[in-house]
Amino acid sequence: MVVVTLQRKKCIGCNYCVDLSPNDFVMSKKDGKSVLLNSDDKKGFFTKKTLDNTIFDSCDAAAKACPVNIISVKMV
Amino acid sequence: MAPAGNFESMQAALDNGADSIYFGVEQLNMRARASINFTLDDLEEISSRCKAKNVRTYLTLNTIIYDHDLSIIKTLLKRAKETGITAVIAMDQAVLMAAKEMGMEIHISTQINITNIETVRFYAMFADTMVMSRELSLQQVKKITQQIEKDQIKGPKGELVEIEIFGHGALCMAVSGKCYMSLHNHNSSANRGACKQNCRKKYTVIDQETGVVMELDNEYIMSPKDLCTIDFLDQISDAGVKVLKIEGRGRAPEYVAKVIKCYRDAIDSIADGTYDKAKVIEWMLELEKVYNRGFWSGYYLGQQLGEWSKGSGSHATQKKVYLGKGEHYFPKPKIGQFKIEAYDLSIGDTILVTGPTTGAKEMVLKEMLVDDLKKDKATKGDSITFPVDFRIRVSDKLYKIVKNEEIQA
Repeated sequence: MVVVTLQRKKCIGCNYCVDLSPNDFVMSKKDGKSVLLNSDDKKGFFTKKTLDNTIFDSCDAAAKACPVNIISVKMV
Repeated sequence: MAPAGNFESMQAALDNGADSIYFGVEQLNMRARASINFTLDDLEEISSRCKAKNVRTYLTLNTIIYDHDLSIIKTLLKRAKETGITAVIAMDQAVLMAAKEMGMEIHISTQINITNIETVRFYAMFADTMVMSRELSLQQVKKITQQIEKDQIKGPKGELVEIEIFGHGALCMAVSGKCYMSLHNHNSSANRGACKQNCRKKYTVIDQETGVVMELDNEYIMSPKDLCTIDFLDQISDAGVKVLKIEGRGRAPEYVAKVIKCYRDAIDSIADGTYDKAKVIEWMLELEKVYNRGFWSGYYLGQQLGEWSKGSGSHATQKKVYLGKGEHYFPKPKIGQFKIEAYDLSIGDTILVTGPTTGAKEMVLKEMLVDDLKKDKATKGDSITFPVDFRIRVSDKLYKIVKNEEIQA
């Protein structure tokens, strides 16, 4: 299972995650920050758990590119 | 014009005589990385607190803008207009257009790097105030202000365009912010306000052909000293500059307090004819007490380049040490109560109190009570009270100011 977390409050809207993992991230038209699709919000930490392990590589690339280090990706 | 990275700094600016403040909201400003940025909900308080003191408020919205930012720009501008923020400082044409459509006053950011009169003429279609490129000399600035007067170049308000320059604070190793170094090394774009400041580190230069490490006097080869103009402020005033901008939304409230106070004094002295060398020396000593990388005059006097900083951090002659938190204020006898959580405090120490409403206030401790007994020294765990003529709040922090012993030559 892959667990992806986005601490979206700190997002500066650079769009890297959407470029690298377009199936998992979109930019919000409302506030210009990144949105992790199909995630649950727990006190500002948006988490997505999925059995689809194929998303790991692209999400990991997004996490590595993120300039403010607010994305984490784990294989559990 | 003073930087306000948070309410502490804003209050410090208000208390020390700033005419205007500038600040960022959310992510679309040149200090997007800052841990505390104002949010949309803060606009109202910023506006009302500044209006009460007759201080103008400027919203910075000066990063590069992508398509997905367009809607938040409109939200921000709309809210800024509703809450009575004076103007927006803009770089991207999308912001210029949106603000113009809304009838919001526009100032041109230094990120546009205006270096000539024709560019001023062009942006006069949108803006009443323009920040010049930080790389111009004062002579060049003067020519521009004279030409504005001569050609009667007016902004949308129908008044002559006002010219603003940076007066004090950090300089960029590239042409003001137009830098890809942070993006290259850390994937973190300076042009989106996320500069990692990697130019401030130590570097060696190696010749790739021979492997020879080049000899350099200074390893901080890309870190410029901080700009300081207080010693030639009369020339700046003479060049027709209307607004002096102080850099430092990332700096501490006591920094804002000190720098604004010095420049306020200096500007007032020029106005009443008492600006002189003795005063400059006093101000310089004050300015050296707070965060700085050593000072130089930037590009204004046309000196050669190569004024690089000699260390990675600050050369400030003083530093603050955290002591504790505000507990209570007795308004009638004007006594403040603090809890000491670290270090110790003695009579005669210079103390600093900072807080979102308090700003940054410095004073010398003349007397105090420790757990209701008169004492000369308080240590960790003590609850202390002392007379103080401003209100102490639980959100206030108490520091003492000590000499910085580890100043590098």
